[in-house]
Amino acid sequence: MSQLIRKYSDDYAEYMRDESRTTGYAETISFPKTEEDVREILGALAPSKTSITVQAARTGLAAGAVPFGGHAMNIVRMNRVLGLRKGENGLFYVRVQPGVILSQLKKDIEEKRFDTKGWSSESLAALAEFEAASEQFFPTDPTETSACIGGIVACNASGARSYLYKSARGHISGVRLMLSDGGIIALRRGCVFAKGRTLELPKENGGTLIVPLPSYQMPATKNASGYYVADDMDAIDLIIGSDGTLGIMTEIELELLPLPAAIWGVSTFFDSEKKAIHFVQKMREKVSNVAAIEYFDVGAINILRDQKKTNAAFAQLPDVESWAACCVYTELHCHGEESALEKLYEIGVCIAESGGDENKTWVARNARDLEQLQFFRHAVPESTNMMIDKRRQIDPAITKLGADMSVPDEYLEDVVALYRAGLEEYGLESAIWGHIGDNHLHVNILPRDGADFKKGKELYAKWARVITDMGGAVSAEHGVGKIKAPFLEVMYGREHIIEMAKMKYAFDPGFIFGRGNMFPADVQEEVQL
Amino acid sequence: MAGLVIDREKCTGCGLCLKSCAVNALSVKNGSAAVSDVCVMCGVCVDVCPFNAILIEKKEAAETEAFLYKDVWVFAEQSAGTLASVSLELTGEGRRLADARRCALVAVLSGKNGQENAKVLIAAGADKVIFCPDERLAENNDEAYADYVSSLIEKYKPEAVLFGATKFGRSLAPRVAARVKTGLTADCTVLEIDPETKLLRQTRPAFGGNLMATIVCPAHRPQMATVRPGIMAAPEPDFSRCGELVEETFFARTVPAIELLEKIKTDKTMSIADAQIIVDAGRGIGNQKNLALVKEFADLIGAELGCSRPLVDMGWCEYRHQVGQTGCSVAPKLLITFGVSGAIQHLAGIARAEKIIAVNSDPEAPIFGVAHYAVVGDCVEILKEMIAALKQGGASLSKLPVPVFRK
Amino acid sequence: MRCVVCIKQVPSTTKVKLDPVTKTIIRDARQSVVNPFDAYAIEEAVRVKEKTNGSVSVLSMGIPATERLLRDAVARGADRALLLSDRAFAGADTLATSYTLSLGIRRLGAFDLIFCGKMAVDGDTAQIGPELAETLGIPHVTDVTEILELGEKEIKVRRATDEGYEILKVTLPALLCVVKDINMPRMPSIAGIRYSQAAPFEVLGAEALSADIARTGLDGSPTQVVHTFTPERAGECVQIDGDCKTQAVKMLGLIAAETKTAEGGN
Repeated sequence: MSQLIRKYSDDYAEYMRDESRTTGYAETISFPKTEEDVREILGALAPSKTSITVQAARTGLAAGAVPFGGHAMNIVRMNRVLGLRKGENGLFYVRVQPGVILSQLKKDIEEKRFDTKGWSSESLAALAEFEAASEQFFPTDPTETSACIGGIVACNASGARSYLYKSARGHISGVRLMLSDGGIIALRRGCVFAKGRTLELPKENGGTLIVPLPSYQMPATKNASGYYVADDMDAIDLIIGSDGTLGIMTEIELELLPLPAAIWGVSTFFDSEKKAIHFVQKMREKVSNVAAIEYFDVGAINILRDQKKTNAAFAQLPDVESWAACCVYTELHCHGEESALEKLYEIGVCIAESGGDENKTWVARNARDLEQLQFFRHAVPESTNMMIDKRRQIDPAITKLGADMSVPDEYLEDVVALYRAGLEEYGLESAIWGHIGDNHLHVNILPRDGADFKKGKELYAKWARVITDMGGAVSAEHGVGKIKAPFLEVMYGREHIIEMAKMKYAFDPGFIFGRGNMFPADVQEEVQL
Repeated sequence: MAGLVIDREKCTGCGLCLKSCAVNALSVKNGSAAVSDVCVMCGVCVDVCPFNAILIEKKEAAETEAFLYKDVWVFAEQSAGTLASVSLELTGEGRRLADARRCALVAVLSGKNGQENAKVLIAAGADKVIFCPDERLAENNDEAYADYVSSLIEKYKPEAVLFGATKFGRSLAPRVAARVKTGLTADCTVLEIDPETKLLRQTRPAFGGNLMATIVCPAHRPQMATVRPGIMAAPEPDFSRCGELVEETFFARTVPAIELLEKIKTDKTMSIADAQIIVDAGRGIGNQKNLALVKEFADLIGAELGCSRPLVDMGWCEYRHQVGQTGCSVAPKLLITFGVSGAIQHLAGIARAEKIIAVNSDPEAPIFGVAHYAVVGDCVEILKEMIAALKQGGASLSKLPVPVFRK
Repeated sequence: MRCVVCIKQVPSTTKVKLDPVTKTIIRDARQSVVNPFDAYAIEEAVRVKEKTNGSVSVLSMGIPATERLLRDAVARGADRALLLSDRAFAGADTLATSYTLSLGIRRLGAFDLIFCGKMAVDGDTAQIGPELAETLGIPHVTDVTEILELGEKEIKVRRATDEGYEILKVTLPALLCVVKDINMPRMPSIAGIRYSQAAPFEVLGAEALSADIARTGLDGSPTQVVHTFTPERAGECVQIDGDCKTQAVKMLGLIAAETKTAEGGN
């Protein structure tokens, strides 16, 4: 067996779980550093059809990185930035290994400093241009900046700014995917397209992979549920968001955009949820250059209020006045301060028209204030997790139940009503926050005990059906992983799940990659038979 | 008027200076560099220019009668009769400067234990100690001390006066400098006498430590500086040295406007955020039993205990010990990690540690990327060895030899 | 209570990236910001204003673009802003700056409390507060962590010392240098920003201030920079080899050496 493969021991316990608090198990683990290492490991494991779960920073919320047996391949040491190029369109593209951490990459881009060891002369030339250019940024900004790029691509992550920049998909321009036989499919955006619903993928060392694409129509809303398929689609889009089920990404190329000169954040407080929703609708209608519209309900704000009192890490949070029942965060991306000021006043008008007060706002116009607002936003999920961890010490079986569903614009009021009615009917504690601009709210059920946990799961299944009927998606950004696999069947139906599995089979005939992700266990047998 | 001047004869318009300017004040126009109003005259471009085409022109102030000023002074800060350690560091440094200047080194002292402290200062290198036993100088009081020190300066006219850059020193020194209307350089790390001009060259970090600036005070006296504590070594005391003790009386000039109501001493080691030495445990220590070893070791060397998130998650450690993004951000002088692999969230929390010694069995653990000393080995075994050695040696670190490492 | 806050414009990052050989600075295009410590001074002054039904003036010496930051302070609760801007002020060290600021403060009229941040992050000197207080002939307190009582003639404050804290009674007028712990600066509201954009704004030069230009700017600065250089970076990570026992002994020696400076360093 390869030297790279280590037998599991308790030292590796932390690699058996992710941020969803799901704990798995593995017989072996590896930490490859290069594409060659990955090939060597696959060579040792694929013949015996050992299941391989690829993982990186394990910041995911759907347990996609948690191994359920077999081998855990942790790619955090594939963390080099490999090169840079300037496209004909004037944009810069950065090529990375999948284990590069987002926060590190952001820092490199911001400081315009890369470890250029091994870079080609073309890359170095592009770097010189990059240094001279205005500041650039990678627009995808999931809340968790310690996520790895590989994970971001695997679940097509998005984050708050996706209201303007959409999900990561649009900013990923190239991928190298290793199949179980060690062969590589190298894809660059705009090069390989499907014919209708059939893809012919050239392998790097000759040969072609014929892939039958599933026939379903994706919902017309923010979506990270199941494979991305469409007629005549770009092949790269199939790999993005495939949840580690098709192969192992060994290289990724990202598109960078020039950083807007003025990035301003505005947190607005309302005394009722109704007013907040009204404000969101007005904002969508009237104000341009808005990169994010985020929501925090009273449950979320109350958790923050509590944590601030008891937890030193959150002591520096700004105080929310006691009357405030909810908060809407909006972010403006403008090319200058003057236009930003104009937009800010437009937001002020929307606030007044929705029954709010311009005085009850926090405006961040510099990095320090923006950081403060970001800290506030990030503290919400963090403090919720901490609260649940405390409850788990009493009952380890419970976890936070987080919905990640989205619906089309016209259903915003309906979907909030649906959530509120369900939570009341089931008598559950909750905190709601997230991307209200995309009608994509994270409804977090906070079970107090095992009974709550069971009720919460039931409620989710119910919501998944109604949201599918509204034309929505059951996972809008976290990916499906293991936790949401059952909902996927609700959304697409058994028949389409089988089609998806057949497609996976074309890539991964041994069904070794990401076992448990996306598919119920019995599907594999049905397809392979 | 003063300003940055570009010698158009010498300037080739090469543009090197543009790249060196932190405030973007320079441009090249008509083949020659030009400076705009945003220039802060930091002088970086002056040093960068290969053609010596840039200079900072300055109308010199009417020369203070510099020749009247002599001797190097150090302000010997004390609290409740105990000398601050920086006072001895200053005395050692002052001795060197006084020797270079061939003048006397004078220490300015007050407070309790005057006789004792004067002896210590003389043993550390002072030729003369000016001492004032006045009760009003017993506490470190800005107003009284500003009156006291500035009146001494006026009376004796020292050439240079050094203060420790302690909280009190950094409050008192500028008050004194403004009163005697002279220059003051903050938080110096290197002091030397210019062999030609005989001026005190005061070097301090600028731009967040990315650049060092050497500053002089040519026409005003005394030349004043505060000196960062812990940078200069305190000299070995030589109690056979002789020195003079001069007693001074204190005349207050300022009507006191500040009254000390209460003094509260705090335990410095209450929070790991402020701890000077932290022993930081990670998942790699194996089990909860080994954590007890880490705690024991921390106690022996007088360190606070820190840990990574998994240890808190598993309930081995209390949250208040957690270092990292979701825990506490720490800034100790010394951080010693055991079995910390170095997850990015954890590294964020230790970024401000001055020195890091990392112990981990995995030579490729990311922690070694930020550590100053890497110990690849078994945490538990090394801990046991160190604890045994400390117990045997009467748990005194100061008796241990300081090793020399080759890089 | 009539408050004055002195603020300074500083680069958005003090982590200036510098090429050690060419001394080329890698600049970021981001705009200058108010010195982070000054934000706490503004907030504390606004709190005092709110408690005492007083007023807050903000004052800065700097280039004309500093107007943006002074208006921002108005958006956060200050009432009026004054900028001291003149070529004759450029290149000032702390003594010359203190003199110039003192002229601005006199121009603002009678005051009770002056607030400064602990220090500016670009210069790190922490000298302006005490030097300004001395120039104005008023008492100062550095490292103020809390204002405990606000009286008409005197206030009670807590200040951090190297050993802990002191509670001081200070006769007004006085100057306070505040630390980060003192408060949590608020953010401006949309309404505050609207107000600040329309608020009156004053700029004064050397002549208008009747300044003695031998005491301002570079000419009025006793100190001058004669040389700049890049510090030597600490070397790469040092490997400590050997068996466990050897490593343990070496480590203890290292710890002893490092803790020696730690104790001295305070």
